[in-house]
Amino acid sequence: MITFELFKHQWLKTYRAPGFHRNLVVNILLAISGLYFAAMLVLMGFIAPSILHDTLPDYQPVEAFNGLLLYIVLIIFALRFLMQPLNALDPTPYQILPIKRTRLINYLLLRPLFNPVNYAALLFMIPFAGNIAWKAPYHSGWAALRLLVITVLFVWFNILTASLLKRRYGSNPWAMAVIMLVAGILFLSEYFHVFSLFDISLRIFDFLIGNPFGWLIVAGLAGLSFVLNKRFFSQHQYAEKASKQASGGKSYLKKFSFTDRFGKEGSFISLILKLITRNKRTKSTLFVSILFLLYGLFFYPKKMYDDNYGFTFFIAMIATGSLMLMFGQWLISWNGSHFDCLMTKKMNADTYIRANYTLMMLFNILCFIVTTPYFFFGTKVIFLQVSAFLYNIGVNIFLLLYFASYNTKRLNLNEGSAMNYQGTTYKNFLIVLPVMIGPMAIIGIASIFGAEQVAIWVFAALGVIGVIFSKPLLTLCQRRFIQRKYALCEGFRKKE
Amino acid sequence: MIEVTELKKFYNGVAVLDIPSLVIANGESFGLVGNNGAGKTTFFRLILDLIEASSGEVRVNGETVARRDEWKSYVGSFLDEGFLIDFLTPEEFFSFTGKVYGKSKEDITVFLESMTEFFNGEILGKRKFIRDLSKGNQKKVGIAAALIGDPQILILDEPFTALDPSSQIRLKRMLNELKATQNMTMLISSHDLNHVTDVCERIVVLEKGHIVNDIFTNEDTLKELEAYFAV
Repeated sequence: MITFELFKHQWLKTYRAPGFHRNLVVNILLAISGLYFAAMLVLMGFIAPSILHDTLPDYQPVEAFNGLLLYIVLIIFALRFLMQPLNALDPTPYQILPIKRTRLINYLLLRPLFNPVNYAALLFMIPFAGNIAWKAPYHSGWAALRLLVITVLFVWFNILTASLLKRRYGSNPWAMAVIMLVAGILFLSEYFHVFSLFDISLRIFDFLIGNPFGWLIVAGLAGLSFVLNKRFFSQHQYAEKASKQASGGKSYLKKFSFTDRFGKEGSFISLILKLITRNKRTKSTLFVSILFLLYGLFFYPKKMYDDNYGFTFFIAMIATGSLMLMFGQWLISWNGSHFDCLMTKKMNADTYIRANYTLMMLFNILCFIVTTPYFFFGTKVIFLQVSAFLYNIGVNIFLLLYFASYNTKRLNLNEGSAMNYQGTTYKNFLIVLPVMIGPMAIIGIASIFGAEQVAIWVFAALGVIGVIFSKPLLTLCQRRFIQRKYALCEGFRKKE
Repeated sequence: MIEVTELKKFYNGVAVLDIPSLVIANGESFGLVGNNGAGKTTFFRLILDLIEASSGEVRVNGETVARRDEWKSYVGSFLDEGFLIDFLTPEEFFSFTGKVYGKSKEDITVFLESMTEFFNGEILGKRKFIRDLSKGNQKKVGIAAALIGDPQILILDEPFTALDPSSQIRLKRMLNELKATQNMTMLISSHDLNHVTDVCERIVVLEKGHIVNDIFTNEDTLKELEAYFAV
């Protein structure tokens, strides 16, 4: 009964959050994209056997799939570790009530298992299993059923183990580095035939699916993970202990004092750098923007994008501007929790806007320098990256600054996780149109007429013009900001 | 000097503040009392240009505050936690605020030394972020930061709440000293009638956005106020 109450409270917490209804547009957009991905998964389930047959003709589709499965499980595991938010029910009001501790712990641990999103894999698996069930080598419906059971069990194992490791090591910035390193080693050793995870995976899953009781092993793993989780909780009974481990640490005294030389703007920039490194939300945004820097690695070498100038320009913009594009969405709103402070201290609008501009400029220059190794992919990439960089520093920077003052939602900087939409409004989606989609579409259309070079030159020229006229453009942004000041103050005072 | 003329603020058509005329002279210590929702914080926010007046204006030293920056040089203020930058340590916050007011490192050190008694060893050198301090200590940080730029005018919203009794007494002593030595103009709102009569020489009572009483403090003031608020 009480467990049911807890579920109900969680639902009320979501539904009664002040932003939920106001954010209807965002929620609908999220739902649509969710449906799109669901449909893609089902479709993949149907066509996967033939794709597998084409790409790995030496194996039966099921064998190829089994070989890849361990990779898939590990990738999902890593993503979960990086992105899965820990169960956020604040236990304090419940701890003082006469509810048994074990019941609360069980609830915290098992709640994600009841989240339908976590079973998205089944959307792929059901058509896939149905497709391969009566084909070689199993020729049995039971094997297909076992495949589904094993999928569900692996989902459980993944959720429980990822949250255990996350609770244990989650606040450690090195965890991400270690995960990426391990993944890199695995992929490289597969590539150079040093050691094949594919073969191991093939044997493991062939056994698990082929053997009528193989699934019991996976069930055992999930059970073990559950027990370890419970042990972790019993050792870390007090929330205080866990949160102390989370704060503190060496990054504490990072001062960014080099920025002090630049006067008031400099001290504001060092304030923002502290803001980024000391809050959960901004830290995960930082990780995501580092991932965006790597986008070029996936897309530049692909032959299929060779002629698609619109898309490659889009990739160049993301790569050379990832920091600005990620953080620029939250210009001004990231100062929401201390906006009154900034507005009453001797810091005028001019300094404030100029400091934000300088910071975005520094971000762009940094990203541009870091992504110069992509130049090895050829002159086309050089051309694209330079013009994307110019467009970012000449046009996008002002679009973001100008429209930033329309986002009046307070950001909760202490809530982390990469999939955090708190403070997101339809305005965040609107700004993407001129900033990202516009150039991509225009270059795409131009390339139909063979004029993609001209179009890219035009975007580069626009960027240069923006840089030349930065002074009047900044004044424009500043005026807009002063006009919107009261709306911003009022919006930021509302806590969610 | 603060001059208020025909100042009105409406929310959804309801007047939450309506002050036809009010002048606060230089060096005056001005207390604002009133029950919840009387418009105290709204009034302070209007002076600090954090909300837009529906009509009328506030002038500080002869210049209007709305959408301007000049007044920020000589007004120090602390209303609530929105005036703190909570992911900084107190030291970093003071150094940031000090720099904004053009203070040198030495100035800031001297200033923090003058706060030693008020801080009572609970603020500096603790290696804690402001968000990890208690409400009372956060308040001390905010009040000190309001003073760091040597303001001519100081605006504090309920400075005594959340402070422990000793700190309340220290704060009163500090405010009285600032008044005596620097002729600082002070605007202080409070629910504590005792404290506010101790610190302020003029007290204004707000009720539903209107000034219902404007008195210069004498020995009967406390009784008068207590009688007014009695239920």
